[in-house]
Amino acid sequence: MDPSFRIVPASAPKSASVSQTSNSLGLHDTLRYGPRMIATEVKTEGDLKDRLQNWEETQDNLKLTMMRNTYGLHAPMRLLMERNIVSANPHMPVLPQTNLHLDILMGRDESIEAADVFAGPLNGPPLDIHYDMEKKRRI
Amino acid sequence: MAVQFVGGVVIGADSRTTTGSYIANRVTDKLTFLHDHIYCCRSGSAADTQAIADFGHYYLQMQAQVMGSAPSVLTAAAIMEKMCYQNKDQLSAGIIVAGWDKKTGPSVYNIPLGGGLFRQPWAIGGSGSTYVYGYCDATYQEGWGKDETVNFVKNTLALAMSRDGSSGGCIRMCVITEDGVERKFIPGDQLPRFWEGKEVLGEGIQNSLKTNDLFPKRDG
Repeated sequence: MDPSFRIVPASAPKSASVSQTSNSLGLHDTLRYGPRMIATEVKTEGDLKDRLQNWEETQDNLKLTMMRNTYGLHAPMRLLMERNIVSANPHMPVLPQTNLHLDILMGRDESIEAADVFAGPLNGPPLDIHYDMEKKRRI
Repeated sequence: MAVQFVGGVVIGADSRTTTGSYIANRVTDKLTFLHDHIYCCRSGSAADTQAIADFGHYYLQMQAQVMGSAPSVLTAAAIMEKMCYQNKDQLSAGIIVAGWDKKTGPSVYNIPLGGGLFRQPWAIGGSGSTYVYGYCDATYQEGWGKDETVNFVKNTLALAMSRDGSSGGCIRMCVITEDGVERKFIPGDQLPRFWEGKEVLGEGIQNSLKTNDLFPKRDG
């Protein structure tokens, strides 16, 4: 949890770099990669993607920061601990999963969202049980 | 704007919200409730200030529950200031927080665009405020009672509304004292009127207006 009062996600700092095309002297290697172009150097994508992806997390963070300031550090800590405990899922990641307890804690138990419709086995990412298990067990 | 007097504060605003040159709402209520004896005056982007005021209201409710007593005006102002400062790159919001609390009595806090917090006896903000700094500096006196302060706020707002294109409509005021909040409303046709330009016309024309004579005799 980041103790910040940000209401909406901040726009990522714009960055451009030469590192991928640099030669041993640290400069852009023209002989290998052609003349230097801004299009290849700019690293950041548009703001909208980051903003949408981080939206829920930022709003949640705002509430947690408020709780920290009003009740003390223990309040958000306990909430996050509960969420963590409830997310520990022993099953294989690939089979369709619903975490009702987590939904209740996050306040999503009484609503239907895009994630409920689009994340199932027919619409979701393809089955690769080995990759999923490795990711889960962090091998 | 908000002005502190002996025993309370008077907070007032015009009622115009514009999108470009279109007046989206000509009867806006810019005086937002934060807590029983704390109100805030919003200026700048309407969406931004509403979002901040909503959060401030929410936070103060929680705070009041935990503390068991009404929050102080400084607490409310500090919360608004935190929001404005930490989001300063995204926001365009000027807020004035004013109210009464048991410990310090009446107080007015100005939070301009960058997110600083300034306690002042009187504060003005918004686009129309630039036109009335002179009037306020010249007129404000310490030690006024409620009626003089209400009059001061009314005149200041009327002057700003008559000069600034993005201010107008009617005047809404709240008088916040220990006993509670009293709302006042002055419709647009009952605003105090000041110089309206009749004296611009030359002497000859003034005379002809009085006598309805199209070709008046003139001196010299």
